[in-house]
Amino acid sequence: MTGFARQVHAEWTKLRTVRRWVIALGGAVILSVLLSVFAASASRTDANSDPRIVAGPDGGPVADDVVFAHQRLTGDVTVTAHVVAQADSHEWAAAGIMAKDGTTGGSRYAAIAVTPRHGTRLLADFTHDELAGSGSWLRLVRSGPTVTGFWSADGRTWQQSGIPARLPATVEIGLFVTSPPRVVVERGPGSTAMGELRTEGRAVFDAVSINGTTPRLRVTTVGTSEGMMSQSGGTATVTGSGAMGPNPPPDDVVQVSLFGMLAGVLVLVAVGTLFLTSETRRGLLRTTLTANPHRGRVLAAKAVVLGGVAFGVALAAGVTAFAAAQPLLRDRGWTPPAFPYAGLSDPPVWRALLMTAAFAAAVAVFTLAVATITRHSAATIAGVAALLVLPLIVGSAVPHRAAQVLMLVTPAGGFATQRVKPPTEALVDPTATVSGGWGLAVAVLYAAAALAGAGYVLRRRDA
Amino acid sequence: MSSTIEVRGVHKRYGSTVAVDDLTFTVQPGRVTGFVGPNGSGKSTTMRLILGLDAADAGTATIGGRPFRSLPLPLTGIGALLDASAVHPGRRAYDHLLWLAHSNGLPRRRIREVLGLVGLDGVAGKRVGGFSLGMRQRLGIAAAMLGDPPVVMLDEPVNGLDPDGIVWFRDLARRLAAEGRTVFVASHLMGELEGTASHLIVIGRGRLIADAAVADLLDAASGERLEIRTARRTEVMTMLANAGAVVAATGPDALTVAGLGGERVARLLGDAGLEFAELRRHRATLEEAYMELTRDAVTFR
Repeated sequence: MTGFARQVHAEWTKLRTVRRWVIALGGAVILSVLLSVFAASASRTDANSDPRIVAGPDGGPVADDVVFAHQRLTGDVTVTAHVVAQADSHEWAAAGIMAKDGTTGGSRYAAIAVTPRHGTRLLADFTHDELAGSGSWLRLVRSGPTVTGFWSADGRTWQQSGIPARLPATVEIGLFVTSPPRVVVERGPGSTAMGELRTEGRAVFDAVSINGTTPRLRVTTVGTSEGMMSQSGGTATVTGSGAMGPNPPPDDVVQVSLFGMLAGVLVLVAVGTLFLTSETRRGLLRTTLTANPHRGRVLAAKAVVLGGVAFGVALAAGVTAFAAAQPLLRDRGWTPPAFPYAGLSDPPVWRALLMTAAFAAAVAVFTLAVATITRHSAATIAGVAALLVLPLIVGSAVPHRAAQVLMLVTPAGGFATQRVKPPTEALVDPTATVSGGWGLAVAVLYAAAALAGAGYVLRRRDA
Repeated sequence: MSSTIEVRGVHKRYGSTVAVDDLTFTVQPGRVTGFVGPNGSGKSTTMRLILGLDAADAGTATIGGRPFRSLPLPLTGIGALLDASAVHPGRRAYDHLLWLAHSNGLPRRRIREVLGLVGLDGVAGKRVGGFSLGMRQRLGIAAAMLGDPPVVMLDEPVNGLDPDGIVWFRDLARRLAAEGRTVFVASHLMGELEGTASHLIVIGRGRLIADAAVADLLDAASGERLEIRTARRTEVMTMLANAGAVVAATGPDALTVAGLGGERVARLLGDAGLEFAELRRHRATLEEAYMELTRDAVTFR
């Protein structure tokens, strides 16, 4: 064994041979799980009663609100239309041609559309949204199993691109208009009010033909959309509100089931502090340094052991808490389509659990480093705990931008690792303002900087 | 095993207090060297400097010619007991030695051996929190001996030991020295080292006062004085003082004489017809020698 491996072995032996610490670490797991289970049993969601959330083709929550002027067709088909004008009702408003598997909310579709600010786009099945180019002449061709979008600026020279869509033989096909609502979020101390303002999209089409003939279109307002079509001469004007796309509620079922991890992390802070201060207080650090005078290596070995143990403890706590909370959450409204069932084998879930464990390890190492510098148990525990908890409290009472900054300058942002969903403005919880990756990066940075400082101090100071 | 501890011109100051002042000495193998001085004289600081725990402002300290930091497996180079209470009370005695053994890649067999050496085999599985100071001293000595080091350095190891323990320790220290090891034992009580140390390094206020064999120190402290026990103390004192001696009463029937040789005193007493019960050379105790030395140090200042 190398000197460092020997030192890691020694530090691991130290940690596991103090019964109180082992009990505390076991307690961290139990506390995290119990608190998570308690939080899960106290939580309830009514997201599935929101009519704007329907199950998409893969079961996930989607919004399918669109005004659709369509006719039924079977087999190969070519639809052409020219968007003469589109109102700038919302930057992501869309107007174009769509083929859809019926008019039930959540059904599959393939579409080509213009937008006020984001060019001409190819769309399919709520998740595919690709910039094609620009051009207000649109054509959708379905030939056998393939769907191709065409676009042109002048109706003579066309460009084309395939659209990944899986449509049945018979589809509803025609013109559509969407215009997403404007979201207004107001944050107050401990609460957020989220409002949505309806916007109305409007588009004027001409030169509309299906398989070379003028179609006879019927208007359906799919989902909660509102709008209509009026025709005069060769032009059709369609108005519509709503959006098509993924529509997961901001609440995160993984985060909800890991609520108790905060308690476990605080226990790790206490153990991490005592792991060091129990040596400085009794002069035991001198014994350690007479067994290995390389102080940087001693500190690194302690960090490796403590970080590894914290990782293991947090992973065990996270996996158990998640598994224990899922059945409780299912009984309390956390069900598809708003909340697809999540399992430990889902990559986003185990990624969140691993990142949460890594965050716990970073906090433990940060604590060790702070304890090395201060040599004071109470100051270290109180200081680190405050650094983890205060930003969560303050962050839930300040505007979104301030909360975000707070999460990016304190290690508290690391709790964002418990979320699998992207950051959102819609929640009180300030950890929802940043991504887990950023939160973890900040915590790791804190740990690295503190460890470097501790190494410097330890080498310079008389033991 | 011919490792010495060499301290060369070591100086250490904490703030405005000089703890160790240009200290130079060598501790030789094969004998027990006592390290003596009053409380606060710099013994513990010197030991920390030897172990590289505190950084010296000037000077060097080496073990077997190498600075402590460069020893590849420190526990096999020097075993040290600095503070018997430097143990975690929640850890078992065995586990305390186990992590130390792991840190230097020592076999578990050594743990049983040193626990046997210090007589703690029976309490190996007990938590250290319940140990008396004497038991902790033994555990600290066990930890120092874990790497079977050629150099052993112990700070106040007798502190807290019961009389049996003190006898045991003296025996152990002499045995370790007889094995050829360098044994360096600090104490603030000279009496603790009587009969154990054959060489002494005496410091006061961080400065070296003496670095000498115990026998030489005793001779120096004894001087040329004689002890006389006689029932006719007053007459004897008057007669010897008249003959030019410096006399002092030390008891109702005892006195000491300096300035005259033994034979001369015996003849004078015989000629005067003064009977005496005993006439012998004065033998100073180590304690007296030490008091003499430290008194000089104080006077010197």
